Amino acid sequence: MSDFSSVLSPREGEIHVIAAAQHIVKALEANKNLDDDLRKILSQLDSHLSAMTVLTTESRGTGFREVEEQLKYAEEKIRGWESNQSLLWDSDEFDPLEVSEFLKAIDEIQALIEGLRSLSVNGNGKQKELLNRADSILQMAMSRLEKEIIHILVKHKQFFQPKNMSFRSCVLDVLYDESFVSVEDIPSEEALQRNSSGKESDEYNFDLVRPQVIPHLKSIANVMFGVNYDQEFCQAFIRVRRDALEEYLVILKVEKFSIEDVLKMEWSSLNYEIQKWVRAMNIIIRYLASEKQLCDQILGDYGFVNPLCFVEISKGFLAHLLNFGEAIAMGTHEPEKLFRLLDMYEVVADNLLDIDALFSEEAGTAVRFEFHELLRSLGDFGRATFLKFGNAIATNASTRPFLGGGIHPLTKYVMNYIKTLTMYCNTLNVLLKDQEAADPNPVVEPVNGQGVSSITHCQMACHFRSITATLESNLDSKSKLYKDGVLQHIFLMNNLHYMVRKVKSGELRLFFGDEWIKEHIVKYKQHAMSYERATWNSVLSFLKDGDGPGLCSASKAIRGFTIAFEEVYKNQTGWSIPDPELREDLQISTSQKVIHAYRSFMGRKSSSISEKYIRHSPDDLQNYILDLFNGSPRILQSSRKK
Amino acid sequence: MPATDNQGSFLNRISIRRNQVVSMDGNHEQELEDLELFQKHVADRFADLLSQSEDTLGDGLLSISWLRKLLDVFLCCEAEYKAILLLGRDPSQISKPPLDKLVPEFHDRVVKALDVCNAVSHAVETVRNYQKLAEIAVTALEQRPIGDGQVRRAKKALNSLMILLEEKEGSNHKSTERAWSFGRRSTNATTSSSKDRATSASQFRSLSWSMSRGWSAAKQIQAMSSNLVAPRGGESSSPALPVYIMSTITVFVMWALVAAIPCQERNGLLTHFPVPKQLGWAQSIIALQEKIGEEWKKKKEKNRLAGLLEETQRIEKLGVSLIVFADSFQFPPEADRLEEVAVQVAELGETCKKMEEGLVPLQQQIREVFHRIVRSRTEVLDLLDQGGKVTAPVM
Repeated sequence: MSDFSSVLSPREGEIHVIAAAQHIVKALEANKNLDDDLRKILSQLDSHLSAMTVLTTESRGTGFREVEEQLKYAEEKIRGWESNQSLLWDSDEFDPLEVSEFLKAIDEIQALIEGLRSLSVNGNGKQKELLNRADSILQMAMSRLEKEIIHILVKHKQFFQPKNMSFRSCVLDVLYDESFVSVEDIPSEEALQRNSSGKESDEYNFDLVRPQVIPHLKSIANVMFGVNYDQEFCQAFIRVRRDALEEYLVILKVEKFSIEDVLKMEWSSLNYEIQKWVRAMNIIIRYLASEKQLCDQILGDYGFVNPLCFVEISKGFLAHLLNFGEAIAMGTHEPEKLFRLLDMYEVVADNLLDIDALFSEEAGTAVRFEFHELLRSLGDFGRATFLKFGNAIATNASTRPFLGGGIHPLTKYVMNYIKTLTMYCNTLNVLLKDQEAADPNPVVEPVNGQGVSSITHCQMACHFRSITATLESNLDSKSKLYKDGVLQHIFLMNNLHYMVRKVKSGELRLFFGDEWIKEHIVKYKQHAMSYERATWNSVLSFLKDGDGPGLCSASKAIRGFTIAFEEVYKNQTGWSIPDPELREDLQISTSQKVIHAYRSFMGRKSSSISEKYIRHSPDDLQNYILDLFNGSPRILQSSRKK
Repeated sequence: MPATDNQGSFLNRISIRRNQVVSMDGNHEQELEDLELFQKHVADRFADLLSQSEDTLGDGLLSISWLRKLLDVFLCCEAEYKAILLLGRDPSQISKPPLDKLVPEFHDRVVKALDVCNAVSHAVETVRNYQKLAEIAVTALEQRPIGDGQVRRAKKALNSLMILLEEKEGSNHKSTERAWSFGRRSTNATTSSSKDRATSASQFRSLSWSMSRGWSAAKQIQAMSSNLVAPRGGESSSPALPVYIMSTITVFVMWALVAAIPCQERNGLLTHFPVPKQLGWAQSIIALQEKIGEEWKKKKEKNRLAGLLEETQRIEKLGVSLIVFADSFQFPPEADRLEEVAVQVAELGETCKKMEEGLVPLQQQIREVFHRIVRSRTEVLDLLDQGGKVTAPVM
């Protein structure tokens, strides 16, 4: 506009020039092939020329006739639309010509107002009245435009549909409860699910408003900003977009909870809500990228207004997500929460760069700060929970021996737990590294030896080994509860074997390293040997005694042996070695030892043993040994007969 | 008064003295002395707030600047309280009477306070909306020459403002349905129909529930104060007293925030909660409580309750007056009338400026209070956790 203002002080003699110029402008305007910009400029020029004419003719008393007529014309157009209820930008009846006429009428009024204002120094009654009318019509048009933007934004909004909208209600979980009954091996499904529900690969922005209406919104923004109705535009824009976001929250099934609610919530519901939250976080950050794009498209030309509006739209919603996160981080440190918590930590960490980018401007400082703060809280909480897990294992005490000497639920729980944790390796390493720095007695061992996988020496690996060491010492105390010292060996063998098997079977092998595996194989084999020695040496000693030249007869020896064997049978059939291979191995080595001794004793002494003392053939014994460790106590038929 | 300075120096002082006395049996005396000091500081700080509340230049009771000072006071007291509760204290003492009961009660209270912080912080957004609408009116009415267009523009914004002010008490349905009595009669055809009013009200509604459904600020405050009992007899000194003092301060601060800022469901908000009159440190709190309670009752009688925030009240008052002006406006305006309006517009502009400068920092400060409460709670729980390691589940 300022281009014209310099022209706005014509002298009497120039009136003809102005008239000629106006004539040319009118002739040009008649041309049908003009583009919109040019047409706009011409129409403004026309209005300015009229205003100049007014000023110069004023003294002669011809007055504001020309201006008044233009005003009347524009006023009629705008009033005409005002009385019409249907909206101009309604897609069903969208008429580009009508719209451009409307916008043109606004341009004309704007130009008239500019012209009139620039003259208003001395204040002339007629001029003031015209200005009043023009302002009034402009207000009417703006009020109309406000309605139109709301209409367009509401009618053409679209929702972001991520590919895997479907949400599985609950995945199987490692549950920690005091009885440990619910512990089973975790299905590999969890691993699959984690990978698929993470970030989707297609990182494109989505159109939250149909692209064909963007130019309309832009042209309305241009007009409204041009006449200083930017506040109204922004208010309406923010309001509708905020409502859309609120609506999306419902679509994502994210509910609003107070912190008090979250702290009181049962773990199963909380678990579900956390999963929804994690998913919502992933989706919403991409939604916001699209929202930002929309703001850029429409408000990109208006400087700081753009980020300000974007922050206003998203702030309330994000506050809600943040609060849920903070509430979770305020809870108690139960080990079963760790996985979900690490999910939360990871989703925030993964999206943090995007959040920083989305809210890079001054207006978004608080949002950025809050997310960094949340990440810190979740990290602290995750670390505390992980460390607490170690304490929980150390202090888990039993009062009764575990029946049959099988695999203790604690062992299963711990091994499955750390196996699942390997999926969070990187995250946990970061968290534990922070802690290491502050700890005077770090768990991490110095790296020695070459060619060892680096994973074997990462923070988490060291913590894993420290956790299993804690577990071993706990199992050691649990084994002391058995009155039968031999069962202690079976119990420890079983549990150590289970640990080794778990470690060998997957990712954990890398964390524990071959050294650890070798060491622990030796350990459980030692327990197996100790078992054999403790159980069978005394049984076989009968045969050894019978071999002697002295007083003890062979018959007596075989009798003693049989009774001892039957006693072992009665006891150890009730014991349990759940792993079939391990059980078989032990049975075979027992068999070899016992049957061999028995057979050779019988071979040497068959002549001196009375038939009635031989209750079992070597083959019988072999079969009996196969009954051991099946977890169901049995008694030998023959001994009952006696 | 910057919160952190006070906190730092105070903590240092306390910890140095504790180190000196920790080996002696006279620890108890030291504790009493600290407690004495704490009470004095609380009394001084609130006396300060009481004297600022007399300010008549717009920064008085329940103004943005007063609330910010109130939150500063809260942060200072909180730091001092935590020092008294934790420094030099054997953690096991917290799990013994009377603290074993008082501390969990206190934590229940602060969790409720956190929710109040969130609700209030969210409601500050609504107050910013008031500001935005008032700003439109200021923009329009500052223009010269002033004409029908400007007046209509201002009125449109002010009408929305009035609806919004009313809507915020809107959990009460009777009041939302009630037509706003000023300016309605003569508003232009497009906004006067009841259907339109309903839609324009619903345009703001999404902001009106920030918390879970059924959550009520009034009930939270009620619950926070319900088991607030001053320690008696042998318990009236340390360590029960500081917990009681901090509880009272927390309830008072949250209550004042809720009264000032129109957050979710304030129906039935207490006008008063009992604090024993004989307690020295509580005198200013009691006086402030009475003042705010009076204000609340006064506003309630008029059935105009968009929050007691000074700036909101001012906006409301000026808005009403400007709507009256707009309703009777005829072009050309009388010069006298214009001058009168110009003064009001300037005042409205001034108020908007105060809000523009103060509301975002206020919101950040509420958040700071939030984070502080969370951290302190965590610290105490961690301490208890370390003390309680030995008690593990037995299988």
